[in-house]
Amino acid sequence: MSDLDDFKATYFDECSELLNELEEQFSAIEAGERDADRLNAVFRAIHSVKGGAGAFGFSALVGFAHAYETLLDYVRDGRIEMSDDVVTLCIRANDIVADHVKAAQTGEALPADYGMEEKDRFDALARGERGGSDDDEGGEPMDAFDIEFVPVMVKLGGDEAEADEAEADDAFDAPPMQVEPGHWEIRFTPHRALYARANDPLLLFRELAVLGDMHVRAVLEEMPSLAEFEPFAVYCSWEITLVSPSVTEAMIREVFEFVDGDCDIAIAQLGAAAGFDIPEPVVAAKPAPKPVVLTADSDPADLLALADDEVANLLDFSRDSDVAVVPKADFTPEPELAPVTVQDTFEEAPGLSFAELAETIAPSPVAKPPVQTAAVTPLRAAAPAASSDGEESSGGSRNVGVQSIRVDLDKVDRVVNMVGELVITQSMLTQQMDETLRARYTELVRGLEVLAQTTRGLQDSVMAIRAQPVKSVFSRMPRLVRELATKTGKKIKLETIGENTEIDKTVIEQLSDPLTHMVRNSADHGIETPDKRLARGKSEIGTIRLSAEQAGGNILIIVEDDGGGINRERVLQVARDKGVVAPDVNPTDEQIDQLIFAPGFSTASEVSDISGRGVGMDVVLSNIKKIGGSVHVRSWTGKGTRMTLRLPLTLAVLDVMLVKVGVSPYVVPLSSIVETIQCSRAAFERVPSGGQVLQVRGEYVQVIDLAQRFDMPSETDPENRFVVLCEAEGSAKVALIVDGIIGQQQVVIKSLEENFERVDGIAGGTILGDGNVALIVDVQGLKTTMVHKNAA
Amino acid sequence: MEALGLRDDMGDKSAIAAQNSLQLIAFSIGEQTYGVEITTVREIRAWDGATPLPNTREFVRGVINLRGTIVPIFDLRARFGDGKTSPTKNHVVVVMSVGDKWVGILVDAVSDILTVSKDDIHVVPEGNSVDTELLNGIVTHDGRMVGLIDLHAVVSGAKMDA
Repeated sequence: MSDLDDFKATYFDECSELLNELEEQFSAIEAGERDADRLNAVFRAIHSVKGGAGAFGFSALVGFAHAYETLLDYVRDGRIEMSDDVVTLCIRANDIVADHVKAAQTGEALPADYGMEEKDRFDALARGERGGSDDDEGGEPMDAFDIEFVPVMVKLGGDEAEADEAEADDAFDAPPMQVEPGHWEIRFTPHRALYARANDPLLLFRELAVLGDMHVRAVLEEMPSLAEFEPFAVYCSWEITLVSPSVTEAMIREVFEFVDGDCDIAIAQLGAAAGFDIPEPVVAAKPAPKPVVLTADSDPADLLALADDEVANLLDFSRDSDVAVVPKADFTPEPELAPVTVQDTFEEAPGLSFAELAETIAPSPVAKPPVQTAAVTPLRAAAPAASSDGEESSGGSRNVGVQSIRVDLDKVDRVVNMVGELVITQSMLTQQMDETLRARYTELVRGLEVLAQTTRGLQDSVMAIRAQPVKSVFSRMPRLVRELATKTGKKIKLETIGENTEIDKTVIEQLSDPLTHMVRNSADHGIETPDKRLARGKSEIGTIRLSAEQAGGNILIIVEDDGGGINRERVLQVARDKGVVAPDVNPTDEQIDQLIFAPGFSTASEVSDISGRGVGMDVVLSNIKKIGGSVHVRSWTGKGTRMTLRLPLTLAVLDVMLVKVGVSPYVVPLSSIVETIQCSRAAFERVPSGGQVLQVRGEYVQVIDLAQRFDMPSETDPENRFVVLCEAEGSAKVALIVDGIIGQQQVVIKSLEENFERVDGIAGGTILGDGNVALIVDVQGLKTTMVHKNAA
Repeated sequence: MEALGLRDDMGDKSAIAAQNSLQLIAFSIGEQTYGVEITTVREIRAWDGATPLPNTREFVRGVINLRGTIVPIFDLRARFGDGKTSPTKNHVVVVMSVGDKWVGILVDAVSDILTVSKDDIHVVPEGNSVDTELLNGIVTHDGRMVGLIDLHAVVSGAKMDA
């Protein structure tokens, strides 16, 4: 049971990936890229969803997916044109498939007719294009659906010959059947009695195939019309071509020994087989077929299993007579002769057309190929020659699957953490090497340098494992925008740029919700209705641009729209009404823009079901802050809004500057540092509140004395202290005063909350090379709390 | 069968005895002895300094690195309102699990492992709220009073504004 649950979980995992893939493919298809590759990818995805659903018995999902797949199949082979209508229908179908998957996952029941309309349209499309000739396939009722596994091995009866023939053609079509030495023609006409005694021609053919390269043709000329057809009569006979230089007529007759008298057998040898005087040992070494023949009358099921074994064994035997025979046969081949003979056989047999065999042997004729190779050959011959397109497709995707493995993220996380520790240890070791030690132990130093390089490389590789393209998040947006456009009656186009930018998986996971909110906000509040846009002289279609790029140690994700921009008067009004901004404070335009991230803030006059519930943008901010990122919004009235998310590349390792506050070590994320200035050279100015501001290149910057803020007595001479100029959200700067600068290094971020709780002004902790804990300064948090204090 | 039954009986008895008794790690702060249940204790280590945490109450001594995890250290003396401990190398940090968190408690010394019967646990007399808040109960061992620390209470209210 739990196994099945595991499988189900895996299936749903796969489904969500496949559905993402569908979204991706269709956004490209929608944009006009209608090549076969995309269509195939779509087809594969739907087929995989359907296959798994069939296995778990999600019949509604299977039913819908099947109808969808049929449509795709017709589109793929050109019977239906990929028109915009069809694309729209498909996109709708993707949503329905997603809903079905979700329903299956949660166990909720969808309405019985859910998706029926679309399904009917599939059927209509399929029928329409096919002239209604055999529409039963397109509209195939689902209970009749079966999962295309064709167990050919078990198939018995008269149509066997055709199958065999097809297989034989398939497997051996490379070497044309010429008249060659060791070429036997067998005409096999079974009588009724043969079947009455429960013999099966297929088994005989299998045994024959063991002897050499076999080609079977069914002779069906005697087949009467249906009216005259007698159920128990025998109408079918076979012509068999067997090519093997080592086969004698006796051996062939031996195969048919047990049906002797119940059939007519004509055996004729073609070509100059006489030129090939078969060496005696080979002939002697051929009693192997015997065990099979001996069991020919036993239980068919056993026989089948046995036959398979035997085919494998005997194929092996034909190359190395030592091996396979011994356990089965009561005859032991002369050891010293057998291998030699085998080799001879191959060299002297130009007509031997076991294509696979030859390939295997060719590089080293003496070497014994692995048993598996032999086993594969009969399997291939027995496999259904013509599997359906779908089967091939899923086979293809399986091959792709081999190139990647599914690993529990926890395992990767563990490796990432360990590597993080390793990096720290390595930097600790390097720090321990002072100048005197360096001079004395040059070898050690060299070793440490190599270690440093290797750990860095290891770290990069490990981080790359967890890195994922932002595509996985971006791909959900087209659907969202489509839905929003439909609901609001707006026309919106979504552009995505840089979707292959890679970010740590842990960051990506946290990105989905904020990004959804931002895009939703842009579509709902940013983009205007078509008439309004036209009135403003803009194109009727609004554009939302989603882009991702790497900028230094950060990833920038930008959501831009060409809508109306933020209505600042309204924002300020609402902010004042809600007490977010004190009545006497007059924020700058930029500060007003940032207000939309304030908790509980919403300017939408009506609460739509899309956004405007007053939660949303503050969720964006808190989510992004949680992962060490920042949000900045910039708006141009009437022209649009740009929201920029700045995210760390990874959550695991941080480049920091190590500073001293009081006597304690603190670290400041390097990504937020603009510059450092010695206090003696900094231009401080007093402000009425009694605090200080710093003038940097004509800009006045808020000053925070960390020692004072953190209540750590500073014993450093004020002249020797440093200003660390940092950039917080929205390129607002803040000057932190520290007691000393120790240096730069990489650290692994550790959570304080894991064993304690959040501390104001501290973003977390880290462990330094000496084993001590240093705290990470939360630049944004410090600035925000200061602002609040000022406002209050 | 009978032997088996006997063994079961004995097993039950010892199980009852085990259920009814409590093993404590006893440690001292000044003249006083306190105890915590031994199953909550993860590690005992010598004081080796801690990185102070800003904006926290006096009794939060800071954080230490415990094999790659950051663990906060609480000064039990300060928590009881007796002023901050001036720790030396002889002071001891008892690392314990409280809920799903690990915390360290700074004490003067670890003295003993005690086995006490649950029946012998007395209720903390009403009076000073600090006592009733921070102690789960009182047991007597060798004629001395041992206060059972309520760890949840000790670690709560660490923030400045709390």
